[in-house]
Amino acid sequence: MKRPRIVVGIKWVPNTQAVRFDPKTGTLIREGVPSIVNPHDLDAIELALKTREKYGGEIIVVTMAPPGAEEGLRHVIGMGVDRAILVSDRVFAGSDTLATSYTLAKTIERIGRVDLVFFGQETIDSSTAHIPAQVASWLDLPYIYYVESIEKLELKENKVVVKRKLEDRYEWYEVELPVVIGVAMHSNPPRPISLTNKLRAVTEKPIEVWTNKQLGLDPRCIGLRGSPTIVSKVTWQPEIPRKRKIYQGNPKEAVKWLIKHLEEEKVLP
Amino acid sequence: MSKKKEVNCEELCPEWECTQPSEYSGIWVVGEIDETEETISEPSLQMLTPANYIASKLGVEVEGLLLGYDKELLEKAAHEMIYHGANRVRILTSNKLKPYIAEVYARIISQIVDKYKPEVVFFPATMKGRELAPYVANTLRAGITADCTQFDVDEKTGDVLMIRPPFAAILLAYIKTPTRRPQIGTARPNVFPKPPRDASRKGEILWEDEKEYKIPRPRTRLVRVEYMKREEIPIEKAEYIVSGGRGVGTLEGFKMLEELAELLGGVVAGSRKAVDLGLIPHDKQVGQTGKAVKAKLYIAVGISGAAQHVVGIRECRVVVAINKDPDAPIFKHADYGIVGDWREIVTELIKALRERTKKAS
Ligand SMILES: Cc1cc2nc3c(=O)[nH]c(=O)nc-3n(C[C@H](O)[C@H](O)[C@H](O)COP(=O)(O)OP(=O)(O)OC[C@H]3O[C@@H](n4cnc5c(N)ncnc54)[C@H](O)[C@@H]3O)c2cc1C
Ligand SMILES: Cc1cc2nc3c(=O)[nH]c(=O)nc-3n(C[C@H](O)[C@H](O)[C@H](O)COP(=O)(O)OP(=O)(O)OC[C@H]3O[C@@H](n4cnc5c(N)ncnc54)[C@H](O)[C@@H]3O)c2cc1C
Repeated sequence: MKRPRIVVGIKWVPNTQAVRFDPKTGTLIREGVPSIVNPHDLDAIELALKTREKYGGEIIVVTMAPPGAEEGLRHVIGMGVDRAILVSDRVFAGSDTLATSYTLAKTIERIGRVDLVFFGQETIDSSTAHIPAQVASWLDLPYIYYVESIEKLELKENKVVVKRKLEDRYEWYEVELPVVIGVAMHSNPPRPISLTNKLRAVTEKPIEVWTNKQLGLDPRCIGLRGSPTIVSKVTWQPEIPRKRKIYQGNPKEAVKWLIKHLEEEKVLP
Repeated sequence: MSKKKEVNCEELCPEWECTQPSEYSGIWVVGEIDETEETISEPSLQMLTPANYIASKLGVEVEGLLLGYDKELLEKAAHEMIYHGANRVRILTSNKLKPYIAEVYARIISQIVDKYKPEVVFFPATMKGRELAPYVANTLRAGITADCTQFDVDEKTGDVLMIRPPFAAILLAYIKTPTRRPQIGTARPNVFPKPPRDASRKGEILWEDEKEYKIPRPRTRLVRVEYMKREEIPIEKAEYIVSGGRGVGTLEGFKMLEELAELLGGVVAGSRKAVDLGLIPHDKQVGQTGKAVKAKLYIAVGISGAAQHVVGIRECRVVVAINKDPDAPIFKHADYGIVGDWREIVTELIKALRERTKKAS
């Protein structure tokens, strides 16, 4: 029987939760800020693991990143994925989402037959949620966002039924394979890593490193040159001006003070 | 404005069609139909605010684009776009566009954009818009900037500056697309106010001929829909919001916030920590990975005021903070702050509001 081949894209990101702002100097404290696998990608890995449990097959994780991301790949190998590919080459530096998705699409093509491509819904650093749609576009595949579960996979009929959640509804879609899927945030909390798997991650599974030697992409299509958008400037997020009136003291008096002001502002019903 | 340098086609990725920025003109807003409300969605109208602003800076016009299958509904939606500032609206209707499938719509939008060549295309970054826009951008090999909170024009070059808060909303990045058109940008709902409605405004409605476009065979089929029960107003539409954080701590504490919200005729929302603690569902989370809100009155209770939270309350008219820590950053983002234990203050506030309504009736 045919078994599914699943590719999962992950990103190695600075742990934005650990970044602190120094109000005195007005700078970002990044020192000692560790990088992590984008947390929303772990939902995608988990969904891939569940799918493999049910239908068998193989999970191949892909990331385009500097060499340090190997640590992230070890982490997901520890979760139980079968193969990990690190796409790493200085020529990919400076990629926007168009160039990133191009490089990822070409990587997926090189992997060969693939039935399902999973991504996390968005990252915690630049959070565009572009990549899944763009990869689908480069590969000319159907795609769907906010997927919570795989309801039915029929490789022979070449289709899958997925369930997704929008603001006010659940939707079930039948989609032709192969398909690119954005896995909803918080939908598939990752399992803890078992000790055996942790050991395997360190000892067994080799990480494949692909440079542009393997991929052979035109330098005009990748990195900075393949990126139509340019980050021209970065500043601190300015604050919305607020009145900043503060009351400290007896709660009853405080509430009186507040209601008086809210009445002046005409914002009470 | 100075003339742009010509793009050298030899230097371009061969997978991109070589076009010159000078071939493109005008600002487009791709509208989205709110299927449950049967009209144009609020976030689509909100996108007309930055569109009108950029258009006036560049001295060009604003055009809406609507796709769908219900002719009457689309025409009504087009008029709404005109009342809110669009100079004209283009409509494509076809039975083949039912039901909505992102890939199908994206491919047709790409063809229409490619035909008329606007220099800027805006999409509302609703859940559907966030799925749709990057596919359109990629089909056109155009640059796209997600979830902008400001737009401006680089006076020297005429490039649009798309300004967005990446990196957990601590930073603000100015992004531009100097050599490629159209420049595509999106903004989350409630980041911009809707322009004022003027029903006397006139504008053209242009009907596109479906025969001129390749409507792709859908590879995705909607097989079932189940609407969630919703008795309450969603937080992004609420006028009064009482929002709780980790400081509130318990479900029982959130019950009290509900009581306060009810008195105001509003709803309860929360911070991400409150969501993580299971005190409130994710669809009521305010902030970068939740929703932006535009309440008349936003009361933050036991919320510290992290950058990722306050990015969601920029459009609120009055912000009140209740926190026991006088140094909590939320006080910098509030109009009125009360330092103290939230339970005591909310109890007093509920009492005072009850008395106030009693007096009024
Ligand atoms: C300050 C700043 C702002 C930026 N703003 C923009 C912008 O508006 N438009 C733009 O085109 N580019 C932008 N970029 C560039 C963009 O961050 C990169 O192209 C990035 O690699 C992919 O975008 P993302 O993190 O938003 O991914 P998302 O689209 O949010 O991620 C979705 C999924 O794709 C996966 N994925 C993302 N990157 C990779 C990768 N390298 N390898 C494997 N899987 C991956 C994620 O893990 C996730 O599962 C910006 C960069 C910076 C530093
Ligand atoms: C990529 C990213 C995205 C994020 N997205 C979001 C988002 O969308 N929304 C969001 O909210 N957060 C988001 N966060 C998390 C954010 O950084 C904060 O961790 C979070 O907002 C804190 O929630 P909190 O204010 O409820 O909790 P805390 O920061 O723990 O604050 C609790 C507050 O309660 C006060 N308090 C305690 N007891 C009392 C009492 N008895 N009376 C009065 N006050 C009391 C304390 O003084 C404190 O200020 C995101 C983070 C990252 C990295």
